[in-house]
Amino acid sequence: MAEPFVSDEELIAWIDGELSAEAAARLVEAIERDPALAARAAAHRRLAERMTTAFGPIADEPVALPRKETAPVISLAEVRAARAEAARTPRRWAVPGAIAASLMVGVLAGQQTMMVASVDDRSGALTLATPVARALDRQLSGEAGPIRVALSFRGKDGGYCRSFSGQHIDGVACRSGGGWELRYAAPASHAAGTGYRMAGDDVAKAAVVEQLIAGDPLDADAERKARAADWK
Amino acid sequence: MEDFEAALEAVLPRLRRFAHGLARNPADADDLTQATAERALKSREQFQPGTSMAGWAMRIMRNLWIDTARQRQRREGMLAPEEQGERVGAEGAAESSVELHYLMRALDRLPDDQREAVAAVMIDGLAYREAAEFLDIPIGTLTSRLVRGRQALMSLLGEQ
Repeated sequence: MAEPFVSDEELIAWIDGELSAEAAARLVEAIERDPALAARAAAHRRLAERMTTAFGPIADEPVALPRKETAPVISLAEVRAARAEAARTPRRWAVPGAIAASLMVGVLAGQQTMMVASVDDRSGALTLATPVARALDRQLSGEAGPIRVALSFRGKDGGYCRSFSGQHIDGVACRSGGGWELRYAAPASHAAGTGYRMAGDDVAKAAVVEQLIAGDPLDADAERKARAADWK
Repeated sequence: MEDFEAALEAVLPRLRRFAHGLARNPADADDLTQATAERALKSREQFQPGTSMAGWAMRIMRNLWIDTARQRQRREGMLAPEEQGERVGAEGAAESSVELHYLMRALDRLPDDQREAVAAVMIDGLAYREAAEFLDIPIGTLTSRLVRGRQALMSLLGEQ
């Protein structure tokens, strides 16, 4: 007995839950009798599931409102001003060795002290969690996202570094061994939900950037190129 | 006014997911989300309290996307078409993100009207009636765009 033709439109409506109970029941019966129809239904269902699986989790990632100030967390002007200031006055602290540099958490330029809780003092401990590393891999400065990248620059060892600001942590990370390693971190100053940043944190972070940076920060063009080359 | 910001912030993750259905890659999706949030903050006087923040902000996003899509077409009209390089982060290149890039690239091949129908229903999860209202088209037009978009996606993705 020839089955009545079932259109893709009807199959899709069924998968989307848009058919009436009666029409859905008729369709289920038809599918049970017709393997070819069952295969078409399964293909449409797989597509729907792939879409849901791939896109669904995006809505679970928190996104912060754009900051009131549109400038990056650390502006080029601030960094340049800090460098000019540093050139006029003697360094208040000696350049630490490579090991000290990689543990530069909470080492500040004299004004205040800030420590990050729960960072183990062992090699590799400062490798960043995947969402942060992914943001550092792919986001350009100033783009919206759970993590916002503020500034990119070359470190004195030639590798790229980026300063960022997340829901819970503000930091500076540099490329190391194919990944990103944390060089500075502090609790995010906007964690209280105010949406505004406090100036003091930027001073501390700017001091770290100033310590690490070789030359000027990357402009938008250089940053896109660096991203295209996977920050190598 | 604080309420407005809280309500907007609460729908941003959903908006960002919808943006991934419209934009050609995750970086563009984040740009679109950012631009939408900025426009919404600027246009807050136009928001009518008691109406859906998500619906209002999604309309802003769609308008921005239509504008940028037009610019894109003009730009690409002058350039040779070029396969977007697939770039996956060196770190944390989870399989899910590879799949996401892949699906976004397939969506990018759809005509805009099919693509927004697919994004509204399959990604944002709107019911047909809601999606038709959102896109300001009759429900029959919505379903035919949705069906054609899905058929095209299935052949692009090898789901037969």
